[in-house]
Amino acid sequence: MKTHKLYESNSHTWLMFGRDDEKPNEIIDTNQYIVITKNNSLLMDPGGIELFSSMLSAVIKQLPADKITHLFASHQDPDIISSLGLWDQALPSAILHSPWIWEGFIRHFGMENITYAPIPDEGDSLKLDGVTLEYIPAHYLHSSGNFNVYDAEARILMSGDIGAALESVEAPLFVENFAEHIDKMKMFHQRWMPSNKAKNDWVDRVRKLDIDMMCPQHGRIFKGDDVKRFLDWFEALEVGLVGK
Amino acid sequence: MSDLSNNYFVSAAEIAAKLDRATNIAQQLSLTASNARAVALRAGERAAGFRPLTDFIDRLAEITISSSEKINRLAARLSQTSADKIRSDQVIKHFSAVFEKAIDSPFIGSLDAVYKRSKEKQQKLDHSYKRQIDQLSDELAMLSNELRNAVILATLSRVEASQAGTQYQDALINVADNVEGAASRIKDHINYSKQMVSTLKEHLQ
Repeated sequence: MKTHKLYESNSHTWLMFGRDDEKPNEIIDTNQYIVITKNNSLLMDPGGIELFSSMLSAVIKQLPADKITHLFASHQDPDIISSLGLWDQALPSAILHSPWIWEGFIRHFGMENITYAPIPDEGDSLKLDGVTLEYIPAHYLHSSGNFNVYDAEARILMSGDIGAALESVEAPLFVENFAEHIDKMKMFHQRWMPSNKAKNDWVDRVRKLDIDMMCPQHGRIFKGDDVKRFLDWFEALEVGLVGK
Repeated sequence: MSDLSNNYFVSAAEIAAKLDRATNIAQQLSLTASNARAVALRAGERAAGFRPLTDFIDRLAEITISSSEKINRLAARLSQTSADKIRSDQVIKHFSAVFEKAIDSPFIGSLDAVYKRSKEKQQKLDHSYKRQIDQLSDELAMLSNELRNAVILATLSRVEASQAGTQYQDALINVADNVEGAASRIKDHINYSKQMVSTLKEHLQ
């Protein structure tokens, strides 16, 4: 699993983990992110069971286990959080932040020790050693209870499945040619996202944020002008479609 | 018998299912005892020797029901312990992979405490698993012994039935057949379960 530093300041660091060449072929490649502050950290969408040992190995190279204090699951899917039963053993004092509607479902992955902190529908924020991270509602994109994480200081939006592309583990980390990238994400957004109304509402809200990097859970990161290109493309895209 | 090489935790659930069926059969045996008592009463003096046997059939049914239920509970608990054991084994497997992959990490020692705790949990589950298998094995052996009495009971019932006169003979022979049949079917389930338990024991070695 590769580790890539996305942002670093005096107060905090953003790292991305992904492109795991040890994962079984049948499993979709995922991007994991972590925000590390002075004494804490938030590990976002930590992934599936199959990924756990690679993921923990990658994280433990960056910080000690007792500093992984918070986990975030944007929604309830197995590629997001089916590793919970293992994190629960590794980080018994951690807090999991996830949409309130999924608590009873996510607990099925095994949760004896970790504390569940439900995020209300309207969103919330988390303060880690003075760094504020906002949970931006992204319901129905694709899950019916779903959040992004926004860091106004780093100008990074962790967008979960929004902006995701289904690609191989050899794919570059960043979108290099937006027009060419469309083909890799069009079907995913049309098929997985059920609501044009929810999509346009999200686009309107996200346009008001200052974003340098939009980081999806699958595929490549959008940087600079590609963020705006994505928002324009996504706004014009009709979603909730089966087939072409 | 299903392949137990990989899914030993499934076999405990199968034992529970088998014993659930044994309980149902034992409940039928209890009905047989009530029926036998009614026939013996109608037959009067001629079936005087049969009446005490109905008490034994009742007792056999009671023991079988309570023992089957106990075995069922033990097997269900074993199934749960097996599933917990699998999860615990998985945690250790994943942690061991992390220790291998991140051996050069300056923070690898920060996992020592959770690894130790997980290892202790695994050992505790291993211990419970072994103890529960032994309990299950003992209870199956006990029930198996009790069921040997069913053959004697059926033989005695036939002897007494032959004394009861033609009017009641067939009904009482039918009781004897039912006792023997029920015991034999329960025994099949017990033997299957015993085989499974011994396979589980082999897996422990």
